[in-house]
Amino acid sequence: MFDLTTKARTLIRVSGLKMYFPIHAGIFRRHVGDVKAVDDVSFDIYEGETLGLVGESGCGKSTCGRAILRLYDITAGSIQIDGQEIGDLPQSALRKLRPTMQMVFQDPQASLNPRLTVEGIIGEPLLEHTSMSRAERKARVHELMDAVGLNRSFSDRYPHEFSGGQRQRIGIARALALNPKFIVCDEPIAALDVSIQAQVVNLLEDLQKEFGLTYLFISHDLSMVRHIADRVAVMYLGKVVELAPEEALYGEPLHPYTRALLSAVPEPDPDLTIEDRIILKGDVPSPANPPAGCNFCTRCPAVMDICQREDPEFREVQPGRFVACHRYGQSAENKTENENENETAA
Amino acid sequence: MPDGAPKVLDVRNLNTVFRTRTGEVHAVNRVSFDLEKGELLGVVGESGSGKSVTMMSLIRLIPSPPAEIRSGQVLFDGMDLLEVDDDTLRDIRGARIGFVFQDPMTSLNPVFTVGFQLREPLMRHMGMNRREADRRAAELLELVGIPDAARRLRDYPHQFSGGMRQRVMIAIALACDPEVLIADEPTTALDVTIQAQILELVRELRQKLGMAIIWITHDLGVIAGIADRVMVMYGGQVVEEAPVRALFKSPRHPYTRALLETIPHVRGKRAERLEVIEGQPPILGAAPKACPFRDRCAVAVEICGRENPALREVGARHRVACHLADADTGAGSGTGAEPEGAHV
Ligand SMILES: Nc1ncnc2c1ncn2[C@@H]1O[C@H](COP(=O)(O)OP(=O)(O)OP(=O)(O)O)[C@@H](O)[C@H]1O
Ligand SMILES: Nc1ncnc2c1ncn2[C@@H]1O[C@H](COP(=O)(O)OP(=O)(O)OP(=O)(O)O)[C@@H](O)[C@H]1O
Ligand code: SF4
Ligand SMILES: [Mg+2]
Ligand SMILES: [Mg+2]
Repeated sequence: MFDLTTKARTLIRVSGLKMYFPIHAGIFRRHVGDVKAVDDVSFDIYEGETLGLVGESGCGKSTCGRAILRLYDITAGSIQIDGQEIGDLPQSALRKLRPTMQMVFQDPQASLNPRLTVEGIIGEPLLEHTSMSRAERKARVHELMDAVGLNRSFSDRYPHEFSGGQRQRIGIARALALNPKFIVCDEPIAALDVSIQAQVVNLLEDLQKEFGLTYLFISHDLSMVRHIADRVAVMYLGKVVELAPEEALYGEPLHPYTRALLSAVPEPDPDLTIEDRIILKGDVPSPANPPAGCNFCTRCPAVMDICQREDPEFREVQPGRFVACHRYGQSAENKTENENENETAA
Repeated sequence: MPDGAPKVLDVRNLNTVFRTRTGEVHAVNRVSFDLEKGELLGVVGESGSGKSVTMMSLIRLIPSPPAEIRSGQVLFDGMDLLEVDDDTLRDIRGARIGFVFQDPMTSLNPVFTVGFQLREPLMRHMGMNRREADRRAAELLELVGIPDAARRLRDYPHQFSGGMRQRVMIAIALACDPEVLIADEPTTALDVTIQAQILELVRELRQKLGMAIIWITHDLGVIAGIADRVMVMYGGQVVEEAPVRALFKSPRHPYTRALLETIPHVRGKRAERLEVIEGQPPILGAAPKACPFRDRCAVAVEICGRENPALREVGARHRVACHLADADTGAGSGTGAEPEGAHV
């Protein structure tokens, strides 16, 4: 496991990232508002670690992951990879950097071209980004198939001839083809059965060790994220509300949303009655029209007056622990009138 | 059965086969189980293990063709549901046996208001007039925790969130006070905080209404929290069935054991490495002549490839289909594991 005590090198630095999707209406397709899918998010990812990104459906996890890889032209903010700013690079300039950052998708079925053989699929990025000969490519594909535990003799088969877990291995092999440093894994196990999920997670862990990979692991499965992540960021309605090392976050969650989320996970033990289980009332508001103040204030069991007026700053409340909640940090009373534009912590 | 709670449903030797262009799929093989009055039976198993097809077969909601129920009995109130005529069956479905399906968007009709869909079974099965049905419909929506219920009856399904649609589905299933509720993955598509709301609701409703429930899920955490008894399916068969505590504390089937070991937890000790069940689930091309789990089983012996083990009693209400079920001592299995409550 990644050692957080040694001086970690920052590989990815995200600051003030915003990704808005415009909403158009009427016959003139007027711009009437925005879906604030990612709304001012800042965090670092250390080299060699797995940062887990959790949160409920629609909170902006995938958008965040895709924005970091610049699969979108972002609305605002900065993204640095190994010190290089890529937030404002045009897509043409990004092409050169693509090999270093890859993505593994949720649906192994939909993300693989059904007309290509396994060899074609895994070899596609090699064809596009390298000048390898056919024989070299084949050798590399075989090497990758070994690494992800696929039998080489399957290289001429098509995706539909594989099981879900095997298809996910094909997707992972393709993501590894160009020796990336950083991989965004977007719900890589969500479509798989419980007994197959463990196989894929173990594989991702082995590959990380072997190749020194850095992962952003997106999932709504809180127990799997606990297992695989070194640090965990919790998103709610476009914002990261808490970020902490795995042990601290699961052992002593600070943000009221993190607490509710963790207490809602059913435990596979009939003897365990979770005492203060927090049942949140109501539904998640729309990201097109988030509430004023703290975006969790409409459902928060610990809500205070100030929460309805002011957006809490995302700040480091203990070394390495970040929280965006008025309950932590400065006492709420002192923060009445002065409208402060928050600088987000990096 | 030692504890004399009356059975509301008794399924015996159910077999369902699909005929497809590429051959037969033996989706449900000799499935037998019963359901006691007021109890919650959890059904778990991997995708394709036959959970949905079993439940759809027993009330004949399975489309045939391609499906064919080859044999079996489904005893409900002195009748065999596989034998009764269509009119009788229609009266039972939706009135005495309620359903909640896997995906609420496909089972709620988008062109009718929620009020219409709630009134319909009340008027058809309970002989209510429009006004009575309206009042009852509002009560039902309130019962499942939808605020401003009377007004929301005029809304269409798309005007509700996913969690609310699932509540509406539950309200419709409960409309005629069924004796049995069959819920197929009713919370799988929902977020954990919304799932927690629904599970809380089900606990409340059971206390208030006392119906028997069959709850299908792949989430062992959900099962541990709400079930009295659990049935584990694998490859179209029941491989283990036990009171919930016995299943989690002393599982006897190698598949159940392995399954419990592969899942990570959010509380307690964090495992260094996840246990895995190697291999893939079986393809059910023919009636199984061997144990369906043999290729993935860590303790399989020669006979496992030759003979399909039958379900055998290994403890109080604890049945296992494994050739080695008796071989290991399984200290404490089954004993003292009867769940309390629920057996009204
Ligand atoms: N291309 C797009 N155009 C408009 N809105 C979008 C687009 N992509 C995402 N959104 C919206 O942005 C919000 C965040 O979506 P996103 O897919 O990032 O959520 P998520 O956290 O990954 O959810 P899930 O767990 O369901 O995958 C949602 O409200 C979604 O509807
Ligand atoms: N219409 C159909 N035609 C052919 N085979 C089918 C059909 N419907 C289901 N099956 C097969 O029957 C078997 C059992 O399916 P079933 O839907 O009961 O699984 P399940 O346990 O409910 O899985 P899940 O957890 O994915 O819902 C599977 O092998 C499936 O492929
Ligand atoms: S800031 Fe207020 S509303 Fe937001 S989480 Fe904290 S206490 Fe709750
Ligand atoms: Mg997503
Ligand atoms: Mg099913």
